[in-house]
Amino acid sequence: MNYGPLIFLAAFFALASSWFGLVLTPQMQIGHLQQTNTLGAGATYPVARPGLARRGIEVYRANGCAYCHSQQVGQTATLCDVVLAEAGTNQAALVAALLSVKPALTDANAVQLMAKLPQTVLQGASREVADTVYKALKASGSKAELWIVPTGPDLARGWGKRRTVAEDFLFDYPVMLGSQRIGPDLANVGLRQPDANWHLRHFYAPRLEVTGSAMPPYRFLFEKRRIERARSPDALDLPPGLAPGNGYEIVPTQEAKALAAYLISLRADAPLFETPMTVPAAPGTNAPAATNLPAPKAFGAVNSTSPARK
Amino acid sequence: MNAQPTQPVALTPAGGGPQAGRAPAPVWSFVLLFVLFYWGMVYFDLHGGWFNPQVYTPYATISEVERYQPPREGPDLARGKAVYETVCGLCHNNDGMGKPNQAPPFVGSEWVLGSPARMIRIPLAGLTGPITVQGQAINLSSMPAMGAALSDEDLAAVLTYIRSSWGNKASPISAEQVKAVRAEIGNRTQPWTAGDLMAVPEK
Repeated sequence: MNYGPLIFLAAFFALASSWFGLVLTPQMQIGHLQQTNTLGAGATYPVARPGLARRGIEVYRANGCAYCHSQQVGQTATLCDVVLAEAGTNQAALVAALLSVKPALTDANAVQLMAKLPQTVLQGASREVADTVYKALKASGSKAELWIVPTGPDLARGWGKRRTVAEDFLFDYPVMLGSQRIGPDLANVGLRQPDANWHLRHFYAPRLEVTGSAMPPYRFLFEKRRIERARSPDALDLPPGLAPGNGYEIVPTQEAKALAAYLISLRADAPLFETPMTVPAAPGTNAPAATNLPAPKAFGAVNSTSPARK
Repeated sequence: MNAQPTQPVALTPAGGGPQAGRAPAPVWSFVLLFVLFYWGMVYFDLHGGWFNPQVYTPYATISEVERYQPPREGPDLARGKAVYETVCGLCHNNDGMGKPNQAPPFVGSEWVLGSPARMIRIPLAGLTGPITVQGQAINLSSMPAMGAALSDEDLAAVLTYIRSSWGNKASPISAEQVKAVRAEIGNRTQPWTAGDLMAVPEK
C-alpha cells in the first residue's frame, strides 16, 4: 500500500489542527474586539492612552517591569447586595417587609434601621435570593437598590473594582500581563496613585514610598545635574541621606516621566457587560447609582474613534 | 565449471525468524483515552464558556453573565446626563438655565414638562421663529435638529434627563415613544415653529 499520501495527510492534519487551535480560534474569539460601550452611560471604552503614556508602555516593557508586576485582576464569584436607600411613606409595610426578609430583626430594630438609611439589608446573596428581597422591599413602597458585587482575593486587596477583561488591553501591544506578583498588581494603579511625583520618587528610591519594598531603585531613569539659575520644578524632593550634594538636583528624564504617565493611565474600572457590577454614583450628582463612567468629555470622543459596538 | 546447483541459502533462519504473532490492541489504553477524553469534555464545558468572548470566569455561559447584570429599572439618567452635556448643554447650559441670547431655559419650561409628543419633535427637526417660554417671548436663531443623529435610546435618555433634573418632575420618555414620533414625522427637515407644535395633539 502506498503510505506516502497517508503520511502527508496525517502531517497536514496535525499542523492544521494546531494552527486552528492556536491561531484561528483565538483570532475569532478575541482578535475582533473593538471598543464597546460601558454599561448604562454608553461611553466608549476603552479610550486610547494619551501620548506620553504610550511612550511609557515602551519604557515599562524595556525595563522588564512585567517580571515582577502583573496587570490582571481576578474574580472568584459574583454576589448580590440589597441596599435600602429610602424608606417610603408606608412605614408599616416596610417594617413587615424587613421582618419577612430578616426574621432575626425585632420591630424596634427595624425602626432603628429605617432611621439610618441607606443600609445594607442583605449581603453576599445569590441573584435569586436578592431578587426576592429586592421585590419585597420595593413592594412596600420604599426605594431599594440591587447591587452586583464581584468578590475575590484581588478585589479584597483593593487592587481593582472588578476583574480585568480582554477589552481593557485593547490598545496595548504587547499586553504586559505579567505572571508574578513580587510587587503589587498594577491594573488599577492609576486609581490608587494618581500622583506623578509619588511614582517618580518610587522609581528613584522605592523604600522612600513603600517600607520594606523589594523593588530595586531605577536611578538610571534620572539624571543628576548642577542647579543652574534656579531649582528645576521637576527636581525630586529627597531626604538628606539620598539628596545629592549642594548645588545639584535629581531630575527625571523623559523616560521616567513617560513611565509615570503610563502608570497613571492604568485603570480598569468601567463597568462592562462581561463584568457586571454596580458602582455608587459620585456624590452631588442627581443620577442614581449607575456607572463609574469617565468624564463626559470621553463621550464626545465617540465621534473620533472607531464605531462602538452597540 | 561446477554445474551442480548449490543448495539455496536459507532465506529464513532456523527457528522461523520473526513471527507476526497475535497482538490484540491494548484495551486498557482505549479505556484510559476514553476516560481522559470524557474528563476533557466536562472540563471544557465547565470552564470554556464555549469560547464566547464575553464569558470570563467565574461565569460559565453567556446566560449567566446576563443573569448577573445590574437591574435596569427606571430611566437611565447617567446616560441622559452624558448625552446632555455633550449635545444640549453647550447651548442650553449644563444647569438647564439656557443662555440668554442663545437658547431658552429648560427649568420649569412648559414645553419640557408638557406633552411628550411636542417635546420629542423639537430635537428631531429643530425649532425656528418666536416662542414663549414661561411667559417670556423668545426669538432667537433657529435650533438645529440636534436629536436627528441620536439613537432612540440616547434621545429618550436625554429627554428623560431634562424632564427630571433641576427641579423638573415629569414622566420619563421611552425609546418606543421616540421611535413612534420619528415614524410620524418621517424625514421632515423643516424646523418646527411654535404654531406647528401647538397644532400637535397633546395625547
